[in-house]
Amino acid sequence: MKRSYEEINDKIRKGDAVVLTAEEIIEVVEREGVEKATKEVDVVTTGTFGAMCSSGAFLNFGHSEPPMKMIKVWLNGVPAYGGLAAVDAYLGASEPREDGSIEYGGAHVIEDLIAGKGVHLRASSYGTDCYPRREIDTWISLKTINQAYMYNPRNAYQNYGVATNSSERTLYTYMGKLLPRYGNATYSSAGQLSPLLNDPQLRTIGIGTRIFLGGAQGYVAWEGTQFKTNAEMSHGVPTGSSRTLAVIGDLKQMSSEFVRALTFHKYGVSLGVGIGVPIPILDEEVMKGVCIRDDQIFAPVLDYSVQSRNKKAIRRASYAELRSGHIDINGKSVRTSSISSYQKAKLIAETLKKEIIKGEFCLTEKVASLPEERAQLPLDLHTKEEVE
Amino acid sequence: MPVKKFLITFTPDLVSEPITFRLVRDFDLVINILRAEIDEMGGRLMLALEGSGPQIQRAVKYLEEAGVQVQELKEFIRKDEVRCTNCGLCISICPVSAYQVDKATWKVVFLNEKCIACGMCIDACPPGAIKLRAQS
Repeated sequence: MKRSYEEINDKIRKGDAVVLTAEEIIEVVEREGVEKATKEVDVVTTGTFGAMCSSGAFLNFGHSEPPMKMIKVWLNGVPAYGGLAAVDAYLGASEPREDGSIEYGGAHVIEDLIAGKGVHLRASSYGTDCYPRREIDTWISLKTINQAYMYNPRNAYQNYGVATNSSERTLYTYMGKLLPRYGNATYSSAGQLSPLLNDPQLRTIGIGTRIFLGGAQGYVAWEGTQFKTNAEMSHGVPTGSSRTLAVIGDLKQMSSEFVRALTFHKYGVSLGVGIGVPIPILDEEVMKGVCIRDDQIFAPVLDYSVQSRNKKAIRRASYAELRSGHIDINGKSVRTSSISSYQKAKLIAETLKKEIIKGEFCLTEKVASLPEERAQLPLDLHTKEEVE
Repeated sequence: MPVKKFLITFTPDLVSEPITFRLVRDFDLVINILRAEIDEMGGRLMLALEGSGPQIQRAVKYLEEAGVQVQELKEFIRKDEVRCTNCGLCISICPVSAYQVDKATWKVVFLNEKCIACGMCIDACPPGAIKLRAQS
């Protein structure tokens, strides 16, 4: 059977849509089969809440009197990029404060802004005839500035590796604290709830797809950076990091519950971002995608003591095994930890479900598809001639 | 039988005192050494003592009279439930599994009675939800 976006949105507006989370649908399909479940269910919601370093926000501060072309910009001491028009800046979530501390950064400023707190703005300039002011030192909040929108170049990874450490010392990484001699293993995907694992070929997710972003309604803006489609597949999903999304949404509508500053000790700052994507059940193929289970999704276990971009997988582990609390590595039972919050992933999928049922969230058809084929390029040392 | 945890600090001149032996022999306690460190400042011993209330009280009195400092460890760390995102990074860091996932809610639960005050979880928590609680 086929179902159109118009039919789904009509049902949503009438309050008749049948919506389940990506966890709930598993049991329904097991009980009733794909064909019957496809007839009964209109939308399946997904969710993830994880550390997404490639995040940040565009801000427009408004013009001062006299006006100023801000060249260097600091927010709570964290540098923001001011190489845009006069009072526009981009604050990167992973930017550390300029006092040498890597424990506080852009993510904390973003969290403070969302919480309604005042943020200290300092900027300097060389001064021009049209923008004579050279210095400013003031306070801003989301109430005082014009636009504040999150634009994250890479979020919601479709699967990701598992980190462990074979060496004799503790490693401090973006995958958390890794204890010596395979002392633990950490993983980050929400597995069966993760948005892109539920629509593995991105049939329904593309540019313009309306999503849940940090508690607000946001959109898929573009392919995420490092988007790639050539990962090995098993059960119809990639067995390692694959597709990603660039997303956009209004910071002023977001909630601290779904946007959280994170500090990875001796690594730096990252932003915990909550993302949920509704998947319209257009046909049985889409339904087959959303009923994927943790025991069918595998991730490579990688040794982070290998300081190379090429880390050979020690083994593959399923998310069912990872979530059980321990995995076997070379005959040793190694305890596992998730870096992303499954509790928040569930909460996001459930929140999105409620919003759709209440008619507050309608689905959008993608305006354009993300690439069907894309390989990820490495950075090697070249001469100018070699690259031209 | 109740189990209580104590941090016992003693000066270098008391290092040779067979404290744990006497706690077992004279006070009939089941003891578990959670941590033990000795350096030029003296010794620090973290013990879990299992026994009746009066038994433990008598043992503490003996320790104090022997000149060692005894501090009951009721709460070494505190988890801020608002700051905590329930990710679970602390779970595989804790050597005694004091953090566990409640599979019904997927929330991370801290079991204070298991904590041995090693402090390894504190810098492992990305949202900064785990803090050292000032000891009284």
